[in-house]
Amino acid sequence: MTSARRVLWIYLLTGIAVFTLMMLLGIAMRAEQARWVAFGPQIFYAMLTLHGGGMITSVALCGMGGLWYLMRREGELSARAALAAYALVVLGVVAVLLSVFPGGFAAGWTFLYPLPFVGATWASWATGTFLIGIMLVSLGWTAWCFQILAFTLTRYGGWGGASGWNLVFKRDAEPHAVPPPQSIAAFVVAVDGILTGMAGMTIGTALIAHWLSPSVLIDPLWAKNVTFFFGHAFANLTIYMALGWVYVGMARYTGREYHTTKILAIAWWATLIFVAVAYFHHLYMDFVQYRPLQYVGEIASYLSAIPATAVSVWGSMLLVYRSRMRWTLGSIFLFTGLIGWVVGGIGALLDASIPLNFDLHNTLWVPAHFHTYLLGGVFLFALGLIYMQLEERSGRCSPPLLRWVVGLTTFGGMAVFLLGFYVAGANGVPRRYALEPSPGPLTASWATVGALLLLLGLLVVLIEAIRLARLPAENPA
Amino acid sequence: MAKGPLVLPVFLVLAAAAMAVMLLVALSTRLSPLPYSQVQPNGYKLRRWWFVILSVGLVAIFAVTLPWFPYPPLRAAAHAAKNDTLYVKITAQQYGFTMPSVLPLDRRIVFEVTSLDVNHGFGIYDPRGQIVAQVQAMPDYVNHLPVTFTRAGRYTVRCLEYCGIGHASMQGGFDVR
Repeated sequence: MTSARRVLWIYLLTGIAVFTLMMLLGIAMRAEQARWVAFGPQIFYAMLTLHGGGMITSVALCGMGGLWYLMRREGELSARAALAAYALVVLGVVAVLLSVFPGGFAAGWTFLYPLPFVGATWASWATGTFLIGIMLVSLGWTAWCFQILAFTLTRYGGWGGASGWNLVFKRDAEPHAVPPPQSIAAFVVAVDGILTGMAGMTIGTALIAHWLSPSVLIDPLWAKNVTFFFGHAFANLTIYMALGWVYVGMARYTGREYHTTKILAIAWWATLIFVAVAYFHHLYMDFVQYRPLQYVGEIASYLSAIPATAVSVWGSMLLVYRSRMRWTLGSIFLFTGLIGWVVGGIGALLDASIPLNFDLHNTLWVPAHFHTYLLGGVFLFALGLIYMQLEERSGRCSPPLLRWVVGLTTFGGMAVFLLGFYVAGANGVPRRYALEPSPGPLTASWATVGALLLLLGLLVVLIEAIRLARLPAENPA
Repeated sequence: MAKGPLVLPVFLVLAAAAMAVMLLVALSTRLSPLPYSQVQPNGYKLRRWWFVILSVGLVAIFAVTLPWFPYPPLRAAAHAAKNDTLYVKITAQQYGFTMPSVLPLDRRIVFEVTSLDVNHGFGIYDPRGQIVAQVQAMPDYVNHLPVTFTRAGRYTVRCLEYCGIGHASMQGGFDVR
């Protein structure tokens, strides 16, 4: 019998391992853009393809493990089903890895039709393997979402209970049938996640059909919509999965209680909608797109800031304000993750404004903001979860000096790394350029130095995690 | 007008403000603790204001900035009404653009942008190196991009959608005079 904690660690450690590998690729690419090294465009774009797909999958794996574990604490949940979903995702990652190295597939994680098939410098089998990999990841993700959805529906008395509908509209909702905040999050992630996974499988199937029979033609605008719906929502949901344990962790570290309220439930319904429709902002520069969808994209992107800041961030700040907060590495990572999420969100809101997007679309401003909330948000949330587990198990936390060292190297390096993207993006340096126009090489140099400092900090984080893990368990599973 | 350079200070000010507020909350844990029941009512009151300000503010920004949306008029007749408009065909193909070498100053131009192979981006950089306009170049579709150049000089065009391993080298240019 696989224990719940084992499932959690399998997901988390795989996610962190893939993340580390992708981070090394990211540093290599920034070094190439700084003109410190020269891999050449074939290798650069192969690395870019792997980095994009691999990073999102790595944080998704952390999110899936973390949220599954929290749900498992609420009731019975099959570890075997969770591991089957995990196996599908990992098989997908392996397929994508093989398609890129040695296959040389370099059409980007976006694989925008018809790019994988036109002017390809890679073998046809690499295209097929990549697409099969995307299908496997989507399949594993969808299976996980179905498990979580089925669980929340069973545990909280159907759709009305799991979604918080009964709490909001029925006066006689029984307190024990009201899901805790992390379960509302899990319900919303599962519903949006199923839509996302189905979109991934739809575009994957269409492209595989074209790969097998080139006479099957696909509408490029339709393909772009489905691809970005899949990619945007999947990336977005990694944040919302992590919020599940941010709610739990902040309450634990502050010694205060975080309940599900009517406002929280409504905020998550809004999030469910915004995650699904904000992706239209990826198509702002496709002027042939049906015009009202462009407006929906901007409004949904803007309004997504409301549930995020007014409920999740605000709620967490209230928990912390003048509390007996225990500042350990775990709580520091969770708290700074919230800062990264907000700061990245500000960059995203600016980019989601159509008049500004006209100048920023596909410049380095785009990776600037999503690196802020993925690296400075979701990844820190994942580290927060890991340290929360280690601190809880050992009953110990890291010494203050070490917390300062980690803070200065990790957050300082991260800030320098991210600023390189923002400055270049504001100056119109295009994204996805192996060789960037000025001031790209200069900002890439700062960014590389920042990334190396961050790497050093994360090495300290790793060594400290191993030290805590080796301490005798005070609170065993 | 290139808006990119203006965005950075706005972002930095907003980000610094958000970080300052959150760090103050973190520092408040050094003060004597308050019972949560005392923190919640004021926090929720403030939140109501934040909700109203943010909702109204964001919707207002959308409405007020509508005239600056870069899209061409929806009806083709509106294009035709501007009889001094110059229509310019732009064709993108891995890894270059087909376009005129000279374009007029202070005249409304509508670029008709398409692609012969994969998705590309048609990004126009002014003589100072700032983006002034862009649109996607898509196979099977034509995107109409209205632009009026008010500064003479050499403009650079760069591909702004990843289109294959020659992407970074895909550029061209034209003179505006």
